[in-house]
Amino acid sequence: MLRKFTLWAASALIAFASLNFELQEAPGDKLIGVWEPSNGRARVKIDRIGTKYYGRIVWLIEPNDPETGLPKTDKNNPDPALKNVPLKGYRMLKDFVYQADGTWSEGTIYDPLNGSTYNCVIKMKDKNTLDIRGYIGVQALGRTDVWKRLAVQPAKK
Amino acid sequence: MIRLFTRFAVLALATASILAACSGGSGDHHAVQIKDAVVTLEGPLFAGPNQGQYAFKLDLAKELGSAYTEGMTVESARITAVEVASADSLGLSSFRSFVVSLASDNADVAMQEAAFKNPLPEGASRVSLDVSPEAELGSLLQQGTVYLVLDADLAEDYLEGSRSLTLNLSFDITIKS
Repeated sequence: MLRKFTLWAASALIAFASLNFELQEAPGDKLIGVWEPSNGRARVKIDRIGTKYYGRIVWLIEPNDPETGLPKTDKNNPDPALKNVPLKGYRMLKDFVYQADGTWSEGTIYDPLNGSTYNCVIKMKDKNTLDIRGYIGVQALGRTDVWKRLAVQPAKK
Repeated sequence: MIRLFTRFAVLALATASILAACSGGSGDHHAVQIKDAVVTLEGPLFAGPNQGQYAFKLDLAKELGSAYTEGMTVESARITAVEVASADSLGLSSFRSFVVSLASDNADVAMQEAAFKNPLPEGASRVSLDVSPEAELGSLLQQGTVYLVLDADLAEDYLEGSRSLTLNLSFDITIKS
């Protein structure tokens, strides 16, 4: 009887530990949230997919194309098949890997104004401020923009 | 006569080589389908882009059956069709556009947009997306877990709960032994 109970307790403990592991936040999750670039013209929501981090445009100060009056699309995308993808919702930050020192690297940032993609590294200065550095080749030859976290926090999963 | 035959044989061999080169290499092509992948957009949902995902692993042994031999890998892959349908009774009328991308955990393999539809046809309960012929997905499908990511643009808030959509995808994959 005691052996049966011990086995049951062990199974329950393992099941609970697995569940807890699933629900556990990753150390890099402090990046998750809605952020605004310094020009204030867009807002980007950063989420985790698998173990990497991605950011989508969720708000634009000017959502419609002044020429057509229709919602803006990614008309500068180098892939002709994707020029009609809506800009609102576009994933402009891709594939960032957390490096355990408040830095996310290995990712890219896309500039919809010219259709170019740059290497990018994100550094968290404080919990509400990011340095976003886009560069080609070496980091020294790049440009840094400061992004601020918006007060609205996404619901925890 | 022998000389004529030799010339013919050389010509046939050269033609066969050119045809093989034009067909894109020596790998075998296979059609692979991901059926009824249910993607849930966790509510409450606000107007604008909302993201859902579905994780899968490509099991070559299962897909190829008796044609599979040990050591086979994906050389290249293209998406040939993507269909999105509503998995609940609400239909697709509240959605404005869909974008489907693939991602993996490998730091060396970038996320790739594969298909989209903008705008959606009015009144449709299922929709075929426009696929990107330039999207090379081979390196993504070589990874263990592949994340199928759906970005769905909602026309208005839906605060009553979550929404579920079903995806069917077809790939043309080239296998190397």
